[in-house]
Amino acid sequence: MARLRMIFRVSVFLIVGLFLHYVLPQHDIVRVTSTEIIRIDFGGLNRLFYAQADSGNIDNPTRDLRLIYTEKRKTFLLGFVQRDVEEVMVYRNEDTGWIWPPYFKFDSSNLQAEMARAEGDDQWYSITHYGWRIAWASIYPNAVAIRPVDGPDVRIVPWFNIFFFVFLIVAIVTVRAMWNQFRERKVDPLLDSAGDRLDEVQAGVAERRSGLRRWLNTWRKKEDRK
Amino acid sequence: MGFVRLVVFGFIFLSIIYFCLSWFSRSVRREKLEEDWAEEKPDGVSRDQYVTAGIEKYNSSLRPKLLLLVYVVPTILVAGIIYATNAN
Repeated sequence: MARLRMIFRVSVFLIVGLFLHYVLPQHDIVRVTSTEIIRIDFGGLNRLFYAQADSGNIDNPTRDLRLIYTEKRKTFLLGFVQRDVEEVMVYRNEDTGWIWPPYFKFDSSNLQAEMARAEGDDQWYSITHYGWRIAWASIYPNAVAIRPVDGPDVRIVPWFNIFFFVFLIVAIVTVRAMWNQFRERKVDPLLDSAGDRLDEVQAGVAERRSGLRRWLNTWRKKEDRK
Repeated sequence: MGFVRLVVFGFIFLSIIYFCLSWFSRSVRREKLEEDWAEEKPDGVSRDQYVTAGIEKYNSSLRPKLLLLVYVVPTILVAGIIYATNAN
């Protein structure tokens, strides 16, 4: 049982962690090499990893997709440790719209123009993005913003993520306190009164039984009475 | 359409949070009042009277109004994110 609970906890932790890793913004230090638009035919496997059609449009199984080709600084440990190695990275550039994930990005075309301007120069940029690059399922991270940085070794402080995790911890503590208060003030008294009622019923039964016994006893001989 | 959905579901979601928080805050206050009464044992004031008076005072205080920030803060946050994402 303890092992089952352990497995359950670890898998919940993993799923939540992966989810947050997908959705929260990350910064990559890149040089933009080129941009391109390709046609993409969604499959059941990767549809989930693309944005919905722009509002007012029909969601077709086929759509044009803006891509950004870059050369990216490799990192260790979720971007905390930088390395001197580079790799290529491809981002998509899509509106997230009003709902999910809540980046409220409507300016894909503007961002694409910025990318086109950045194309091919030696300047290093920081690209804010969310999502994963999964080559075998043709899934790309979505670029959200781009800004020039001093050099490839610049350190970027993830303020948003820091605030997000502080808020998350505060929220978890609050929900726990709320749940404990609810149990103490509403559930426990209810259970107590139910327990009291059960006691009363049992006492009543015992009394009735003793009444019956008394009545039976009147039929017994005096020395046999209990 | 997406905007309408965001407003409707956001309002429902925030309302749930608001009601939970306001119940929680009032319940904590009530518990504290009960403890205060048990400690002070004021003459001629029953426990119910003491708690009811305290809750009425709480209801007219600033604290329950501050909980309306549950609606205000996310709205400002969303507006801020929209600006930060789309301004260049």
